[in-house]
Amino acid sequence: MAVKVAFWQNSDCWGCHQSLLNVHLGLLDVLPALEIVYWPAVVDFKYDSLKNREDGEILVGFIEGSLRTNEDIEATKLMRQKCQIIISFGSCSCYGNVHGLANQWNKDNLVKRKFTEVESIADDSQGEPFEHVPGFIEKIVPIDDIVKVDAYLSGCPPKPEQIVGSILFLLGQKPFPMNELAFCNECSLNQEGCILDAGKICFGPITSIGCTLKCTNNGGVCVGCMGPSKTVSSKIDKLNNIARDLSSISSGDKKNLFEFLTLFLNVPLMSGFDLKGDILKQINNKGNIETPLANLPPSIEEIVTKLLNYLRDNRNFHEISNVCDTCSRIIGSKSSMIRVKRDYEGLPNMEDCLIEQGYICMGPVTKAGCGALCINVNAPCTGCYGQTKWGVNQAERFTDTILKNFNVTISKEDLLSQVKDHIGTFEKFTLASNREFKGGK
Amino acid sequence: MVKEIEVEPITRLEGHGGLRLVLGDDGKVQDVQFNITSTRFFEKFCEGRYCEHIPRITPRICGICPIPHHLTPTKAVENAWGVEIPTPALKLRKLLINAKQYSSHLLHFYALAAPDFLLGPMADPALRNVVHVINKMPEVGAMALKMMDFGQKLCAAIGGKSVHPISAIVGGMKKPLDEDIRDKFLKEIDEQIEFTKKTVDIGLKIIEDYWDVVANVGIVPTYYVGLAKNGVHDIYEGDIRIVTPEGKKIDYDVHKYLDVLGEHIPKHSYATHIYYKPAGYPEGIYRANCLAMINAADKMATPLADEALKAFRDKVGKISHHTFAYHWARLIETVEAIELIKTYLEDPDICNPDCKTLDIEPREAEGIGVTEAPRGLLLYHIWSDAEGICKKMNLLVATNHNIAGIEKTLMHVAKQIFEDKALDGLKLPTPWIK
Repeated sequence: MAVKVAFWQNSDCWGCHQSLLNVHLGLLDVLPALEIVYWPAVVDFKYDSLKNREDGEILVGFIEGSLRTNEDIEATKLMRQKCQIIISFGSCSCYGNVHGLANQWNKDNLVKRKFTEVESIADDSQGEPFEHVPGFIEKIVPIDDIVKVDAYLSGCPPKPEQIVGSILFLLGQKPFPMNELAFCNECSLNQEGCILDAGKICFGPITSIGCTLKCTNNGGVCVGCMGPSKTVSSKIDKLNNIARDLSSISSGDKKNLFEFLTLFLNVPLMSGFDLKGDILKQINNKGNIETPLANLPPSIEEIVTKLLNYLRDNRNFHEISNVCDTCSRIIGSKSSMIRVKRDYEGLPNMEDCLIEQGYICMGPVTKAGCGALCINVNAPCTGCYGQTKWGVNQAERFTDTILKNFNVTISKEDLLSQVKDHIGTFEKFTLASNREFKGGK
Repeated sequence: MVKEIEVEPITRLEGHGGLRLVLGDDGKVQDVQFNITSTRFFEKFCEGRYCEHIPRITPRICGICPIPHHLTPTKAVENAWGVEIPTPALKLRKLLINAKQYSSHLLHFYALAAPDFLLGPMADPALRNVVHVINKMPEVGAMALKMMDFGQKLCAAIGGKSVHPISAIVGGMKKPLDEDIRDKFLKEIDEQIEFTKKTVDIGLKIIEDYWDVVANVGIVPTYYVGLAKNGVHDIYEGDIRIVTPEGKKIDYDVHKYLDVLGEHIPKHSYATHIYYKPAGYPEGIYRANCLAMINAADKMATPLADEALKAFRDKVGKISHHTFAYHWARLIETVEAIELIKTYLEDPDICNPDCKTLDIEPREAEGIGVTEAPRGLLLYHIWSDAEGICKKMNLLVATNHNIAGIEKTLMHVAKQIFEDKALDGLKLPTPWIK
């Protein structure tokens, strides 16, 4: 039976929805499982229809957007009332997003600039609109300041596969297993140059065929995104050997392991998704797994169990997962930061770490999940997935981190003084989560 | 008794809005309000930011059209600092903005607009959506999804991310397109052109089916605002072009925008009403977006689109005030977008690593950037200090150019419906989806 879901948008840009729609053909698989009872961007149900539903009638509510108006607050509370599970969908509802930068000013200053001062106001109509508009709240706050949130899906926007993965995960719909044959059967490295032969983790032996083989063709490893296969390839012994002792795997392999857990088992832990059914959370809380991994072939189950046991024994595993863990650039490169460069300066090379080339890149202090999309096109990370640690001075934490782990040869004081815009650089997406900027709180 | 009709919220709309209609006891329409109920104050919180970071903040104004909101402030800062960008970067940007135009126009046509026509205006609201269209017309649905997917993937390939791109930087682009990725899109381009032609056929059939509606509902003479380069339709650069209700075209240099475009702050909407300043408010109310662009253009930039423009003008005249003709105009722009995408994909310059100038020096100055976003003219005015930090910003965003025009149109149509009962005798076709 289809599951009732509702999508609500507070003050924002529609981008999380566009990201979901970016799944395009993939939507065809998901849609039949959903009964969309509210989604103003796409379907024609009006606000009253949501109000008239029974409390808790809707299984999952996705709340997107920042809390900027009184209407946003009211609607968020209404959604909480009507939905069993509330997902804080995207960095606006998780952290306030760039709109939180407005918390540097009082509401009156914001209103004055927009409705009185701007240069293009051309008649005497100045002043804040007041009729049939909801009014603004003083400071933006994340939605979990006003309602209980069951799961967080951060990112600006969250990646399409994370959103769909989360929905499928909630619905328990991901088919296990997928295709008959394993990835190795189609891999161009199967006969010669196999990654496993070199002692590196590759999940080809237990992953379904059906992809474009892009990863191994481009020098990467198979991270299992197609899910389990029905049969395994003969290379499984090599993978089993590595899985037996995971303590010595390289940081690159850890990264691959992380992606594997997300994609193969459909545990969206990289997105900060956190629910009772989340395998990682079960391990963290109770030390064992309650969710049965249905229908996995025994040899695959054996490997998966080893990986999960490793997680159980290394509960801080997810803390290593920052953007750098998913970035292919070299840390400890031939470059070194001798002064802070502005983004418009020069053009960085594509191989060396951007920090070591002199740019402020928030990768080391930003939660993983994006796959380093910005850095892949030569633009530094600015932190849209949220911080890996909260409640601390982010400028200092960033500086301490890069002084310790990267080729940086200027002092902390110099670095901090060379960055002219601390708030926009270090707390661009999260200022509304910073208590100092919440006013009365 | 005075009667109030509320539509809350307006659905299949990007953003937050409601509609409020007041009918007097004589049955006359007393008031129509189009209430936009949120705004986020970008023009304030960009103050104090590095100017070159603004293009990495402002895409969040619109998740459907983040690319114009990425490129336009970049152009404004380049204008302020006197930066010239290399030709390969210019071509990449034009490819990027056209990829966005393509996917956004198709999203509008298939997901936002088509359900009204394919199911008919009397259909059950619970079914009047793109999900139902996909279920009932799976082949058309799959084609539509493939087209949007192509556009969005191309945006992501150039912009780094399709939603909230990052690759444009003051001085050019951070990275050229990789040749192997370019080749992948080139392989698909002819199929996309065929899909576009099929989409135009669907659109023209709908317009034919609904001709009684197109020709009789919402004919609202207004001014129009668009962008044109030497009179030719252009969404990346050009002059601001105003078209009078009578069809006279006037070009203004973007640096003169404060003389041309005025903002009126309505009491009932957070989105301001932008209008043609020399004509005053409300006389100078204009409409923006594709119909305005088509009315403004002397010709389209590509051959198939230009043919489509001629066919349009043969049917509706040199200037069209037909609100429903927006859908047709959007298809003409879609044709141009896919033709331009092909042109730029075939240009080796988009893979040329010479895509960023190193000759950049911040200076105290103000700069203006303008593009045509999928929903209308988009203008950024940025004041930089000597260190290149933003002192002040003004924004005239696409939707706001249209708000007053939409409200005026709503008033017109409300009178048609409630006073003239003009809808009663309208010929409606049998819906494609029953």
